[in-house]
Parts: sequence; C-alpha cells; structure tokens
Amino acid sequence: MDISEKEARDSLDQIQAVSIRTRKTITAGYDSAVLMMWGLIGTLGYLGTHFFLRWAWPIWIGLSGIGMITTFVVSWRQFHSGNPVKVPAAEKIVWRIFLFWILLLVYMFIWLSILRPRHGIQLNAFMCTTIMFAYVVMGLWFKCYYMLWLGIAVTLTTLIGFYLIPTGYYCLWMALTAGGALFGTGLYIRLFWK
Amino acid sequence: MAEIDNIIHQPARLRIMASLVALEPGEQVDFVYLRKILDLTDGNLGAHLARLENAGYVRIQKTFIARKPRTFINATGKGRDAFDEHTAALKQIIGGSKK
Repeated sequence: MDISEKEARDSLDQIQAVSIRTRKTITAGYDSAVLMMWGLIGTLGYLGTHFFLRWAWPIWIGLSGIGMITTFVVSWRQFHSGNPVKVPAAEKIVWRIFLFWILLLVYMFIWLSILRPRHGIQLNAFMCTTIMFAYVVMGLWFKCYYMLWLGIAVTLTTLIGFYLIPTGYYCLWMALTAGGALFGTGLYIRLFWK
Repeated sequence: MAEIDNIIHQPARLRIMASLVALEPGEQVDFVYLRKILDLTDGNLGAHLARLENAGYVRIQKTFIARKPRTFINATGKGRDAFDEHTAALKQIIGGSKK
C-alpha cells in the first residue's frame, strides 16, 4: 500500500488529536463537577474564616463533611451506573482512593499533634499544602497531570500567602487563589474539554 | 519493518482505534460516548466497529446497567499490537522521506 508522506503525517496528527480528545473528554466527565464543588467549598471556607473567625472550625468541619460525602457518593454512582468508561476492578479503585484520603486525614492529625502549630495560619497552610501534596500523588497515580500541576500551583500560592501576604488578608488571598484555582480548573475542564 | 494495516488505515477506523487505544488496557467505553467523541453517526460507527471486530481488533460487549441496554467496546491485545505497528509504519514513512 503506497502512502505519501503527507498522508502519513495527517494520519499521525489525527491519531494524536483523537487520543488527546478521548482522555480529555473522559476526564471532564469524571472530575470537573467534583473539582468545582471543592473550589466552592474552599472559597466559602476561607471567606467564612475571614468574616466569622469565631465560627471557623464549625464552618470548615461542616463544609469538608459535605464535600467528602458528596465526592464519595458521586464517585460511587459514576462507577456503578452513569460512567461511560468501565474500569476493571472499579470498586477496588474507589475503595483505595477513599482509604488513601482517610489515612491522609489520620496522618494529618498525627503530624498536627506532634508539630502543634501556634497560629491558625500555620495550621491552615499545613493542611492546605498536605492536601495539595495528595493532589500531586493522585495526579501521578492516575496519570492525571492537570491534578499534578494544580497541586503544585496551589502549594506555591499557599506559600506566597503564608510568607508574603499580611496576616489579615491571608484568608481572602486563599479564597481567591486556592478556592479560585480549584473552581476555575473545574470550570475550564467542563467548558473546553467536553 | 512495520507495515501499514489496511483495515486500520481507513480514516474512521483509524480514529476509532486511536480513541480505544488511548484508554488503559481493560477499560471499556460506552458506544454512545464513543460516537460523541468521534462525531460519527450510529450506523457509521456500528459498521466500522463490526469490521474491526471481525478482524479481532476490538471486543464489543452488550450488557444491562440499571435495566438499560448498554454497549461497551474495548481494543483487544491484537488490536493494540496492530495499531502500534500501523503507527510505526506511518512514522517510518515520514522518517524515510526525510533522508
């Protein structure tokens, strides 16, 4: 079969385009809604902390609880019914992810009891960078590289907030950058990757 | 030397295989979803999938999920090997013409 160089090049370009489109479309279906929800939770949590400091703990515990339950239910439902891609051993993967996050929370409490941060900002920067480290790990684990870069980007903005932003504006900065980055990434995926 | 695969080389089938090979081995994609990704009609996608299935390059599995009929497709090992060889042949053509 005779194929010209141009035809071969066009075929390879088409293969690459379809391959990227397939992965992006699947990612958009999985992650965008959950990411936007966590972005919203982060923004509301930080704004709540800035304006109602006395209620910071109940606000964060309440919002995180809602977020965790919703994420688990959405993941479970996707793997069982509406999911357009069937993954082998899907239940095991969902349980492993769930277990990973539970263990991470346990380790965070262990580290906090050892380190005993003195200020709320130290506590928050520690928790935020640890969760973003988990994003980096998940990104590498599932070859989901936008999560890797998102984790690194929010870690950097947290460090900027911690070291360079005046204390009184830290929560506003984090609402904008951390919550905003998660929500913005989810929205971008939803709009442009589907 | 890698050879061009006549079955895969047809443009629609090339895109179908590219999409299926982009999934992890063992992952299966829903027929409707694949149609949406590739922007093909039901009949067109079905006909090309039948051709690929006859060649042993894809596996088509019909099932019921929540009482609704669903069709899932995945590339077989043979299909992945054939696609890799076809891609290698295309790269050889480009590489060969540069010399």
